[in-house]
Amino acid sequence: MSALVHSELLKIRTTRSWWAYLVALVLLTGAGVAGEIGSAGSADRSTLGFQEGLVETVGVAVILAVILGITIVTTEFRHGTVTPTFLAAPHRERVMAAKSAASVVVATGFALLSLAVVAAVALPWLAIVDAQTHLGDGELWTRAAQQILAAALWALMGVAVGAVVHSQVAALVGTLVWIFLGETLLLGLLGLLDAEGVAAYLPFRALDAADGTGGDDLQSYGPGVAVAIGWIALLGALGTGRTRRRDIS
Amino acid sequence: MIEVESLTKRYGRVLAVDDLSFRVEPGTITGFLGPNGAGKSTTLRSVLGLVHPDAGRTTVLGVPYRELDRPLHSVGAVLEASEVHPGRSGRNHLRVLAAAAGIPRSRVAEVLSLVELTKASKRRVKGYSLGMRQRLGLACALLGDPDVLVLDEPANGLDPAGIRWLRDFLRSLAAEGRSILLSSHVLSEVAQTVDRVVIIHHGKLVQQAPIAEVLAGAHGATRVRSPDARRLTDLLSAQGIAVTELAERTLAVEAAPEAVGELAAANGIVLHELGVERATLEEVFFELTRGETTE
Repeated sequence: MSALVHSELLKIRTTRSWWAYLVALVLLTGAGVAGEIGSAGSADRSTLGFQEGLVETVGVAVILAVILGITIVTTEFRHGTVTPTFLAAPHRERVMAAKSAASVVVATGFALLSLAVVAAVALPWLAIVDAQTHLGDGELWTRAAQQILAAALWALMGVAVGAVVHSQVAALVGTLVWIFLGETLLLGLLGLLDAEGVAAYLPFRALDAADGTGGDDLQSYGPGVAVAIGWIALLGALGTGRTRRRDIS
Repeated sequence: MIEVESLTKRYGRVLAVDDLSFRVEPGTITGFLGPNGAGKSTTLRSVLGLVHPDAGRTTVLGVPYRELDRPLHSVGAVLEASEVHPGRSGRNHLRVLAAAAGIPRSRVAEVLSLVELTKASKRRVKGYSLGMRQRLGLACALLGDPDVLVLDEPANGLDPAGIRWLRDFLRSLAAEGRSILLSSHVLSEVAQTVDRVVIIHHGKLVQQAPIAEVLAGAHGATRVRSPDARRLTDLLSAQGIAVTELAERTLAVEAAPEAVGELAAANGIVLHELGVERATLEEVFFELTRGETTE
């Protein structure tokens, strides 16, 4: 099993899109943090709430994690590399498990790198403007840990979606449309039916709660994570079944 | 070595493989032949556990592919040349597979030099020629130093120099005692390389035999040229011997040259040419597979 995980990690690192992920991660996180600090009033900058907001810039890593998760499955079908992959490892469920594990490793790395960028931009900046930091506050670290877990969960969701929808374009576009449009429309519809409660159980609403940012989340943290894991398990099982049955021809 | 038993595979309405059974004997090179669309790829992919048959079973070294302990150490396969990520280098493609199969990294350099691809190995596959991709495919197949090799149309798209290289390479692999199953839709491409042939058409077995037997079984004709071809035709026809006109005053006769010569001499017919017209491999192949279509 560890051989397969190692192989999956090597696959991720040996194409150019790996560098695109890292560059996008650093630039988007950096720009996000700089924008937040630059546009905040000097009184705000010293508040815990504001600094939690800075940690939430790691949401960039969360989005990249779901894209990575989808891609590491669908790229195999797009380029036909699924043939050598399954020749080397004919038990396809093991390949899916290895992809899941590798996606968690990389997503965790993304979140950590993103946090490092937040720290590298925010700490000197806040020091220069004489803002008080809350590094000693457990809240800030809890938020950071939740972001890391969220990135891992979104990556797993990506792998599960990719296993169900093998076409790369359909899986990527479908997921983004579903996140930004589909669930919002459903939310409205459920509102009309007086059934808003159900909306909290939509997959990405639940995942949204898993980053612990609160605000407009429909779920509280614990149940949100539980519902998200439920969706990942369901789609993962469906996808693994579909991938196992598929004729690679 | 490889055994296919009553294999049947249907894609929607199309019956790709129809109750096919054959065996590949250890230590031989077997040509797996049939026209395009005969079901060769589907059969090979079933053997390799990539396609799920509707009925029947396939085994490699006595067990289904999926139950092989270390599949790449038992069977190496070269399927389509394009099954590589274009953005990855040849060497990294091999490293990824080696990692998955638990094969040491040093083996990657070995197989690269074996297929003479060391120089290009750090380049991205996107820039490879078809011949280079085929050699990369061979390198993948050889990673685990397997006893059995399965190759699907390996000569497709190769230039004559590439085909020659491939032929010599496969011969050297067979000389090391490996069993090779090699598919092709062109018989002459593999005739010099293979010991045995399995011929299929419309997903059904047409013949499995040593190549020599297939060639011997193809009845040749006698080629005869005579200024008096018309009278000779009449005489032969009167004896119930089939005659076809190849060209003006040139006939193909379905009888031994001795019989034709004696008949001509007895009737005072002048011959300008008398010889054996060997059926070419392609004619044999065509004849065998045509028999199936007219059923």
